[in-house]
Amino acid sequence: MTEPAVVSPVRLHKELDAIWRTPPGWGRLSSVNHTVLGKRFMVLALTFFAIGGLLSMLIRAQLATPESGFLEPALYNQIFTMHGVVMMFLFAIPMFEGFAIYMLPKMLGARDMAFPRLTAYGFWCYLFGGMILIAALLFGAAPNGGWFMYTPLSSRPYSPGINADVWLLGITFVEISAVTAAIEILVSILKLRAPGMSLTRMPIIAWYMLVTSGMMVLGFPPLILGSILLELERAFNLPFFDPTRGGDPLLWQHLFWLFGHPEVYIIFLPAAGALSTIIPVFAQRPILGYRAIIAAIVALGFLSFGLWVHHMFMVGIPHMALAFFSAASALVAIPTAVQIFAWIGTLASGRPRWDIPMLYVIGFFVVFVIGGMTGVMLAMVPFNTQAHDSYFVVAHLHYVLVGGFVFPMLAALYHWLPHITGRQSVYRLSVPAFWLIFIGFNMTFFLMHLTGLMGMPRRISSYPSNWGWDWLNLLSSVGGFVLTIGFAMVLADILMQLRFGERFGRDPWKAQTLEWATATPPPSYAFASIPHIESRADQIDPAALGSRLAGGEGYLGFARANRQETLAVDMVTGAVEHVVVLPRRTLLPLWTALATGAFFLCLLFRLYALAPLALLGTLGLFLLWPGSLGETADQGPLPIGRGQSAPLDAEASNNVTVLASRTALVTNATLYSSLLFGGLFLLVVAPNWSSAPETAVSWAMLLAGVGAAAVGGVAALVGDRNNSGGRAPGPALWMTVAAQIAAMVLLGATAFLLADPTQHARIAIVFAVLAYCALHAGIGAVLSGATLFRLARGHVSQNRGTAPRIVALWNGFAAATAVAGAALIAVLDTAGAVA
Amino acid sequence: MRQGDKIALISLVAGFTVWSVGFVALYGLQALGCAYGWPTHRAVLILAYGILVAVLAVPAFWPLRSDGEASATLSVAALWANRAALGAGVLVFLPVTFTSTCV
Repeated sequence: MTEPAVVSPVRLHKELDAIWRTPPGWGRLSSVNHTVLGKRFMVLALTFFAIGGLLSMLIRAQLATPESGFLEPALYNQIFTMHGVVMMFLFAIPMFEGFAIYMLPKMLGARDMAFPRLTAYGFWCYLFGGMILIAALLFGAAPNGGWFMYTPLSSRPYSPGINADVWLLGITFVEISAVTAAIEILVSILKLRAPGMSLTRMPIIAWYMLVTSGMMVLGFPPLILGSILLELERAFNLPFFDPTRGGDPLLWQHLFWLFGHPEVYIIFLPAAGALSTIIPVFAQRPILGYRAIIAAIVALGFLSFGLWVHHMFMVGIPHMALAFFSAASALVAIPTAVQIFAWIGTLASGRPRWDIPMLYVIGFFVVFVIGGMTGVMLAMVPFNTQAHDSYFVVAHLHYVLVGGFVFPMLAALYHWLPHITGRQSVYRLSVPAFWLIFIGFNMTFFLMHLTGLMGMPRRISSYPSNWGWDWLNLLSSVGGFVLTIGFAMVLADILMQLRFGERFGRDPWKAQTLEWATATPPPSYAFASIPHIESRADQIDPAALGSRLAGGEGYLGFARANRQETLAVDMVTGAVEHVVVLPRRTLLPLWTALATGAFFLCLLFRLYALAPLALLGTLGLFLLWPGSLGETADQGPLPIGRGQSAPLDAEASNNVTVLASRTALVTNATLYSSLLFGGLFLLVVAPNWSSAPETAVSWAMLLAGVGAAAVGGVAALVGDRNNSGGRAPGPALWMTVAAQIAAMVLLGATAFLLADPTQHARIAIVFAVLAYCALHAGIGAVLSGATLFRLARGHVSQNRGTAPRIVALWNGFAAATAVAGAALIAVLDTAGAVA
Repeated sequence: MRQGDKIALISLVAGFTVWSVGFVALYGLQALGCAYGWPTHRAVLILAYGILVAVLAVPAFWPLRSDGEASATLSVAALWANRAALGAGVLVFLPVTFTSTCV
């Protein structure tokens, strides 16, 4: 195929925009564009931030005076719980996702994220899940057991309403968007970069995003598993957390904090990435210690998973274990300090110029360092024992989260808002807004250190007037309102910028990163042509490069076959690998999210007979997704501009779909490992196992099921191998379908024939493991069947082997889970109980 | 992906992957020893500690590779990360030698 003819920049813009743009009116619902969806994510996250802020105002109004009757205790419980839930799950994480979705392709030199429809699906899940939570608040049925939902308080006997179910189901629904975004961000960073941009030429923020997405891939599954187990306990009386029947509330705490502590760093790292991008711009020199920062954030990512028990110091864990977690908690300050010294060094060795973003950077330094210091204090077990569950902890967590996320976010807002709006800040309100936020924040939360040290516990709705907390609480409340006025001024400032801000040319800050090479506001396709990167991508001249790219001088500087095209590169070197054809706008993500929402609502309102229908609807809609994708004939290498050619992604062996499938299986494996850990934890630690009833496992049926799953896994691997070797994959795929259906039936029947799983956690865990394995065998059969369908329609060939590869990966995983599950069941079934 | 690049990428996370596995293993051994009343509980933990530190030392002192700009830069970052993992292992796992095991 010959390269399309060169056209004028204006005509190129019109041709590309016709392919990539989101139509007006109802057509907006079909958008899959990263610029549109990134903005939607951020606007929605800021809306939830406003709701969370409003709830905090109610909290401070209640606590401003002793023995206040402003809010009833029951309502207060819902409000402080929802404040935490909204800020953590509906604001901080989605704000990062929105920022990454909007910004990453532009910083990396791609035209979109790797899976645009997944972006849209994640957005709708986030919107609908958030609406469930907010609607529950309006109807007085919001979660009320604290944002961490500890059992047994959140178990059915002590929380009989649907409040806790709203948390468990609403948050799980929202977390779909977090997991899908994490996989997409990881794959996009590793594969969708401008040619020549090796990993070590990436702007440093991409390293932060890469580590963060890796942490999300591993950090969210324990929470999702915990939520599923607790909902199973509440809905079907399976006693995973009930100590009278072999469960243990500590299992919930382990699963929650295995997610919950990395979550703090998942929130902090992207913000730190923004700082590492903004500070060099205003210091007017490259970031100091690029390689040291990479090492530091890798260290931070791993160490953050070794701290979770510092939230559980008071639960009665032996001193040796406490010492592990205490040491790790203190140690994590070191890689954080490496970054802080790199930022200070960058400023000290540069020629700093002061502007609004830098005000928030300085605010960050002050607030976050104080939060870090109190964090090290709380990492020490003796001090933690004294300050546990007091307002000192409230002060610490706000210093860390507001210092580590909100201040950098505001710096980022002022830095990048001109990119989104195409207008510069008006500045009239910016400086007073900063000072109100800075003073109001410290007035509110610094005093809470003192209130906490004076013994005020968290979560109380009122307090007597004779304990010396009155004036501190009153000042905190005044500070809270000052803080809110500051945020209101930032909002007004944004509106002023949108209305009155002056337009500008490319790169108003003289930044040196690629996003400023796009027009502002950016066009739907981001880059008219994709650049070739020859130096580190935070040291380029975007203004000069931008006009060349708009003229089509880079790669793919043309519109071809009405397709949305971008380039994929080698993960490390950035050498061109293939052309990625991205799916175009569609309503499928919206319908799929609605079906998913229907499933969660059925569970919430206990319409269990309808829930499988909604689930089948969701699965059916997902199966429609690949329908419009792929080729029915091999195309061979296509011209990509600059005299080069590359094959289509469908003809590349390790394309983004395969990488995403591998990553999704890592997430899935983490969830399953957490389940296996849960079984072993209960066996070793939980009470009431010495008299545990028999599981009544049918070993013949179980082993037959495992054998069938193994046959299915091997057959899928053979199918993939046959296809890539030029032989027909059909027979092996049919064998996979048959074997996995047999495995699903046998494993499902084994679960069905167990002793009553509500009797004891031992049987409940065995039941959950069998159900998981049966479900995965069933999905394996469906995927194999779908691949046979694509094979029959001509979408699969020796060169176009993505579908058989995914089938092999999934079914291999399903077989492995069946084997591991049988091993755990053997241990639980035969091991002697620990007294 | 070339072999050298793959090694550079893997070595970036090698040390801390070992550290994470070691963390879980030591925490698990501590719990199992207490649950089943192992008479040689501390000896087992100290042995595991020694093995872990020895394994962590391997990537921390592995010679740098420099075939290509990307893998050379990655290798330097990997070396620092792996030395940090060794330091973290020595420090965080040290309590197995002196703290009370099950109290």
